[in-house]
Amino acid sequence: MALVIRAVRARSEPRPARGRVVLAVGVAALLAATVAGCGNGSSPGGGSSSGSTKDGFTQAPQSSGPLTVWVDSTRVPAVRAYEKANPDIKINMVLYDGDANGSNTLQTKVELYDRTGTGWPDVVFSAENNEISWTVGAGFTAPLNQGLMPSSFLGNFAAGALDPCTVNGKVYCLRNDMAMDVLWYNATLMKQWGYQVPTTWPQYEQLGEKVATQHPGYLVGNVGDTFTPEIYMWASQCPANQITGLRAVTVNVTTANCTRMASLLDTLVKAGSMSKLGVFSTAFDKKEKGKVLMLPGPAWFGGAVFDSPSGLNTPKGQIAVAPMPQWPGTGTPSTGDVGGGLWLLSAHSRHLNEAVNFLTWVTGNNAYQDNLAPGYPAYTPAATVWLANQAKSGYYASDISTPLQQAAGQVWSGWGYGQFSQEAIWASTIVPGITTGKTIASMLPAWQSSISEHAQADGYTVSSS
Amino acid sequence: MRPGHAFVAGYLVLLVAFGIVPTGYGIYFAFTNSANYFSGLSNFTAVARDFRYLPAVGHVALYLLIWLVTLAVFVTGLALVLHQLPARRTSRLVRFLYYIPGALAGAASVMVWLFMLDPTVSPAAPLLRLLGYGTFGQVVQEGHLAILFAMIAFWTGAGGWIVVMYGALNNIPQEVIEAARIDGAGGVQIARRIQIPMLRKWIVYMVILAFAVGTQLFVEPQLISEASVGVAGRDYSLNQLSYDFAFQNNNVNYAAAISVELLVVSLVVAAVFVTRSRFFDAD
Amino acid sequence: MPTDTSAPGTLTRVPGPDARRPQPRRARRPAAAAAQVLPGLLLLAFVVFFVLPVIWLLLAATKTDPQLVQDNPLSFGSWHALRENWDALTGFQGDVILLWLRNSALYASLALVITLAAGIPAGYALAMTEFPGRRLLLITTLVVMLMPATTLVVPLFLEINAVHLIGSLWSVVLPYSFYPFGVYLTYIYFSTALPRDLLDAARIDGATEFAAFRRIALPLAAPVVALVGFFSFVANWTNYFLPYVLLPESNQYPVQVGLGLLLTDVPQFNPTAGTAQVLRPELALATLVAISPVLIVFLFAQRYLIAGLLAGATKQ
Repeated sequence: MALVIRAVRARSEPRPARGRVVLAVGVAALLAATVAGCGNGSSPGGGSSSGSTKDGFTQAPQSSGPLTVWVDSTRVPAVRAYEKANPDIKINMVLYDGDANGSNTLQTKVELYDRTGTGWPDVVFSAENNEISWTVGAGFTAPLNQGLMPSSFLGNFAAGALDPCTVNGKVYCLRNDMAMDVLWYNATLMKQWGYQVPTTWPQYEQLGEKVATQHPGYLVGNVGDTFTPEIYMWASQCPANQITGLRAVTVNVTTANCTRMASLLDTLVKAGSMSKLGVFSTAFDKKEKGKVLMLPGPAWFGGAVFDSPSGLNTPKGQIAVAPMPQWPGTGTPSTGDVGGGLWLLSAHSRHLNEAVNFLTWVTGNNAYQDNLAPGYPAYTPAATVWLANQAKSGYYASDISTPLQQAAGQVWSGWGYGQFSQEAIWASTIVPGITTGKTIASMLPAWQSSISEHAQADGYTVSSS
Repeated sequence: MRPGHAFVAGYLVLLVAFGIVPTGYGIYFAFTNSANYFSGLSNFTAVARDFRYLPAVGHVALYLLIWLVTLAVFVTGLALVLHQLPARRTSRLVRFLYYIPGALAGAASVMVWLFMLDPTVSPAAPLLRLLGYGTFGQVVQEGHLAILFAMIAFWTGAGGWIVVMYGALNNIPQEVIEAARIDGAGGVQIARRIQIPMLRKWIVYMVILAFAVGTQLFVEPQLISEASVGVAGRDYSLNQLSYDFAFQNNNVNYAAAISVELLVVSLVVAAVFVTRSRFFDAD
Repeated sequence: MPTDTSAPGTLTRVPGPDARRPQPRRARRPAAAAAQVLPGLLLLAFVVFFVLPVIWLLLAATKTDPQLVQDNPLSFGSWHALRENWDALTGFQGDVILLWLRNSALYASLALVITLAAGIPAGYALAMTEFPGRRLLLITTLVVMLMPATTLVVPLFLEINAVHLIGSLWSVVLPYSFYPFGVYLTYIYFSTALPRDLLDAARIDGATEFAAFRRIALPLAAPVVALVGFFSFVANWTNYFLPYVLLPESNQYPVQVGLGLLLTDVPQFNPTAGTAQVLRPELALATLVAISPVLIVFLFAQRYLIAGLLAGATKQ
């Protein structure tokens, strides 16, 4: 093929050779058609072929094979312990980010699998409590209380623990641990200064103001975390996140329950005894070591904030726990919750028996939850043993079991888990305002509209009553 | 069959499989709804009505302005200055040092920037304090974000382009430069009259790509969003919004609509540059 | 007269009193002296800008977590802490970081070979030959390059699933191999630097296109091969989203996705990370480990990356 090509500069525009172009376009069209044909369009829930309806959902044909379990690194010991206790059951463990920090990994991947109709894991751990807001619609999670698991087992979870999992009476996941909010405090300092641990919010506020004048620089709380509303607003029963249906939410932050807490926070921020920083920020680490008198926060603050070398690193014997303060006139005591984690069972799983076995073990079995789990188990019998183990550590100044056990049953059910992230909204709407010196009370309308906008963008109907 | 076709055959297969088909599919998504029915421009109007859309357009526009100017000016300038350095080893070392951040693209640099921008722990703390910022939250205020993102993007991207420009400068025949020197031209004049015009194609290429990359701003706000745990940088750019639509709302059609908008804008700008600089001529 | 910052050794007229000065530059006026110092200062300022965070990162890997927060940012920690961080990093899920590195190297290298094999001839043909569809190909490549990747993920996933490659390393390597940026680089390089006369002469002599390519263009193409190869390698090494979406098993992850995983175990980013904490200095060390192959390749490739195409051409 010895073609001699002349210098092209003098040449005019070459005519497009239709042959080559047509061929390229044809190949493209063919490929596109193949892809379109093989993909299952965008129907959610993807096709599991012939399945029987049992236990409340359409089950895929069952087979034997390894159980695919997705966990984050903290739950890896759970899988290892299970494998050790059940050597005959094969587990294919996949390490992933646990969907933490709003990474949305699980939803991204499940939606792709839904389009191709294959690839779903059998069991998934998620660090986000709002998975049910989309998994039910996508047909990804299987209902557990329609025959798969006995009600005796499900009934042993702490009151309200399975709320994030429940839609219209059906339970779609298991709760891993409870992260109820309690009042952490430094018993040594309290005793030293002769303060009483507050039992009501007005007392808390007064104490905060006292501390600001008598011991400036010491803190009674902080507002700079993304989960701040899940501590203070939730405990105050503020209806900022009242999920009333799979796609319905009631938001009304201008009511008294919210404004009273906002004004309390503003007073203490202004006084100086409430920090504008987040507890995990470097500034907090640097400045506030040894300066924390009280800190309302979730149950896992003990290990993550106080007893941690990269946290406040408070010495042994100083930190104690009290129940969350209450507003006078509230009937049943209420507190908030920050996190917890869920175990999901895929409705497309072909190994339901093994999966149920695994889930029962990992949430309720003492071998994992009591000895290896870092958080307060949501399964009550396991929690009792866990608390006993914690007491043995000798880190805390007094018994922490009673306040924790009480708080576990007091999480207010009026704050739900929508697909939109309340933490992200607080972080992007309120925290920058706090940084520039605005009061939370003045930002409440902005908070309201931000929640409404985000909820509506996710398809929620927002009502304000 | 022309021999030219044989040369491009391998690439053509890859282009069709991983370029044309997905792009075509993406464009198809933008004009259909989730039931695969043709939906005209309804995806575009629905996206434009989203409360995050207009702010995102403003953000990207501001970012683009800062980013393009910074990149074009400093990359060309630094490459020229580097090229005039006498000591080759110094030149090579400096180019390597400029390039190192390029290896830290993406997720790897979340922690780096969290610390760099935090006046309590940053090595640049004196500078930050001079500007009046005492906490990380003050540094990542909304008003600063465009500059911050342009800075981070420049930090990771400039080194590679400097290498490319430097190589392009090496292709300018030394005789031409010598002749100019003998005629008495100084460094700046040589740069202006000889080097920059001969870098024309490279600068055009860089600007076209930088524009497109800039409109698709995603990595920098995402990493500041991670570093600040959501305080700054969430839903900042159009591409982030597209990502949210695709993977949080399972709405590929809205996501594709935004992608097509970005594509069209980039193409228009590219077309302008390409026609004005005769980019496609085989000269 | 304009000031001259020419390199020593090049011809420069040095008239007047400066002829007596030892240096061959014209440094008559203070302004002229400033004009020499200014570029140096500029370069130095940017060196600090680019390198300071990296130095911080290097030092961070030698500290313990409290030291990272409390100590001076540019202080050295201790060899002991570095050792501990290394042990903790390799202890994470049993040396998985090394597996991730191996994956990255594998994917990037395989893709590199295919990219070069397909891209270099294509760029050459686009620049140096005329054929129907040439301009269309250039335009299509540009269009595809400008399309945001977010929307491409779903069709790509469906495509790869259609050929049953999900879960195989080819699901990542093949998309990586499509590197239009490299084709454009090659196109620009050949079209601006390769003299047409050389090729025309060969063609007139009766050589086939392929022979012309092999005998003339290819020997001169070392810089652009190095350039495209290097950028392709780096782009694939640092690619996060594609492997994150396409690879189902965590032991297939490249190191970039692995880093993202490590990040979610840092308590400051994710407080629910209980027993599997990754401390920040450990993450710093992981980051350094993840980027070092790129830097090593750059060091070796630098020589080729910037040499002019004409460096090896024979004069006519």
